[in-house]
Amino acid sequence: MKYALVAVLGLLIGAAAGGAAIYYNPFTQPSPPSADAADRALHYGLPGEVLGFHLGDDVVPPGSPKRDDVFWEETIGRTALLSLVLEDAHDKPAAIASRLLAVSPRTDLLLSGVRVNDYWLLTIPGEGTLFLRAESNVWPFLKETLPVWYFGRHWKGPTDYRPTAGPGAGGTAVVVGATGRFAGLEGSAVEKYRITDLDPASRSAAATGEIDLRLASSRVAAGR
Amino acid sequence: MKFTFLFALLFGFGGVLAAGHLLPWGAHVRLPSQTRVVANGGRSERFVIRLPVDRVAAAGAKAAGLRAETGAVALPPELTAEPLLVEHFKLRDAGGNVVGLAARHWSGDAKAAGTAWSLMIPSRGALLLTAPGEARAALDAALRNSGYSPGSAWTGEVRVAFATEGTDTAVVAAGSDEFAGLDGRYSELWTITGVSDAGELRGTIEIDTITRHGS
Repeated sequence: MKYALVAVLGLLIGAAAGGAAIYYNPFTQPSPPSADAADRALHYGLPGEVLGFHLGDDVVPPGSPKRDDVFWEETIGRTALLSLVLEDAHDKPAAIASRLLAVSPRTDLLLSGVRVNDYWLLTIPGEGTLFLRAESNVWPFLKETLPVWYFGRHWKGPTDYRPTAGPGAGGTAVVVGATGRFAGLEGSAVEKYRITDLDPASRSAAATGEIDLRLASSRVAAGR
Repeated sequence: MKFTFLFALLFGFGGVLAAGHLLPWGAHVRLPSQTRVVANGGRSERFVIRLPVDRVAAAGAKAAGLRAETGAVALPPELTAEPLLVEHFKLRDAGGNVVGLAARHWSGDAKAAGTAWSLMIPSRGALLLTAPGEARAALDAALRNSGYSPGSAWTGEVRVAFATEGTDTAVVAAGSDEFAGLDGRYSELWTITGVSDAGELRGTIEIDTITRHGS
């Protein structure tokens, strides 16, 4: 009996130490910010500039208000759909983005964090459409947000994040020009956002974000 | 007893790390792919969208036609100086099973006309499809030619090819994961069998892709 109690105690302490190791794991920290200047930066505010937001049934935060518009099908249960208006440097609406998101199979809590595949279609009226393929690491966001939402921990924000972690070189997203003047161009992009408020009651967050675009030629900058 | 404690401690520590590393945290339910081998090489795959049940959301300029007026979110005026229509759908395989999500951006202005589809199948990756884009309100015109008048319900059958089979301008432009390195063509056929008096469309969108690994 005494051996069993000691074994359970050791198991619990070991598991707690393992959890702490995952929580503070340096391998899952975000990439350092890129020093490269963007050809174009578009920014957004959440929830103000959201046109629509839909979540899969399996990724709705427990305890959040009931929604009628969740994706209930098991094949898309771990996905989300977000459409946004993006503004230019003068705070004028300049683009519309559709983001299809899915938890990535490359999620690894030990080595890479919680990864999300984030596919953007971004249309700038009068210029054309870009396709962005990003892999984001949302673990730094989750490990700060979840304790505030669920355990009432004091929030130390606002907090800045740079979730883009690939699949391009240097931890950037891959950009492919789809239509208009962007057709045939390629490039990279990085998303950054700042969480400005967390609401434990509705399990929601307010944020300002920015997507920095770089294309292989400077044609994207010529429109500014 | 000391050995027992240390063994349990290491087992607990290692077990949590192993679970963090080895468990499939990001796995998605996958259905068998409904692909076919085509005679001259490559593979074909059909994706289907059923209207209205698979239409998740839309936003657009009224100049884009019926689809921008019914159940669509209004865009800021700065974005609607030229015709623009953004639509989001659930995506089905040829067997009618929901397998993913899709976004369609259409622009009808002179400088940047075109259509882009982003098809995401969580268990397989994503596809980018691009085409020159149909004429403004092309579906509306086809419906009117078949007797539809705005504001009243209509039943019938209208088939409109937004990207015609066999053309080289409607292309598979990029892909990820299982679709990485593929190029090819696609066609997009809208079959509308009814319009409600509120303007809601009933019918299907069929996206047929023929892809092969690029050189």
